[in-house]
Amino acid sequence: MLMAWEAETALTGPPSRRPVGDGPLPSPPPGAMTYRYTTDLAAIRAVVYRYARQAGLPESRAVDLVLAVSEVAANTVRHAKSPGSLKIWYDTKEIVCQIHDEGVITDPLAGHRQPSLEANGGHGLWIVNQVCDKVEMRSDESGTTIRLHMDLPR
Amino acid sequence: MWYNKCVDLLTVSVTARESAGEPYTLVAITGEADVTNTDELRRLLDEEVSQQPRMLIIDLSGLRFMDSSALHALLRVNRSMDRQGGVLALVSPQAAVAKILRLTTADRLIPVFDSVAAAAAG
Repeated sequence: MLMAWEAETALTGPPSRRPVGDGPLPSPPPGAMTYRYTTDLAAIRAVVYRYARQAGLPESRAVDLVLAVSEVAANTVRHAKSPGSLKIWYDTKEIVCQIHDEGVITDPLAGHRQPSLEANGGHGLWIVNQVCDKVEMRSDESGTTIRLHMDLPR
Repeated sequence: MWYNKCVDLLTVSVTARESAGEPYTLVAITGEADVTNTDELRRLLDEEVSQQPRMLIIDLSGLRFMDSSALHALLRVNRSMDRQGGVLALVSPQAAVAKILRLTTADRLIPVFDSVAAAAAG
């Protein structure tokens, strides 16, 4: 139920309420596997690690990808009141993990400021931006999709 | 078809130890620490911190993974120990754990050692 002032701002759309990200992401390839999760992040990590190594990521980069996906999925658990889905696919050039949930991110700079170690949280998306080769984020009132890319060695 | 195995993802064990006549608390964290078990981890650690140990050593050698939630639980312990005039030390993080400690520079805030003996002496 929206309060009167919320309804008003939703109509006029101040910056904090605008969707995050530029334009829709291209669709995942048809062969992409989908894994749904609620709280079993360990299972998601195991899946990501397996795919990462299969795709040819060196151990250290596979660990990076596992950490990144886990941090995004942790945000699902922490903030989104919904299950999440993980799609994974790779070709010869890169491996991509796409996480989607019904949570909403309103800050377009989320993950771009290094949090202080004194703060009580907020390292998740920042870590993701440190370790992944490319990060794409789309968020609006229907949910959030975050796509993590890791380059594969030639 | 898949089914859930009821195996705890995280195990925490606590022992009272001594080094050169000085007591310290050794906490071994084993398995994987993430947002789904951080509350429990925090509760256990808070309990140990409240005993006001001079030194709290956390053995991470059996921990396969740690996320930022769990890291924050450790940072919280570090702040509390600091306030109490005590010391927190971490021992033998595996690759994934060492990585998050390094990325966030937490390893410059909390001393990290290769062994419990080194931490107890240090």
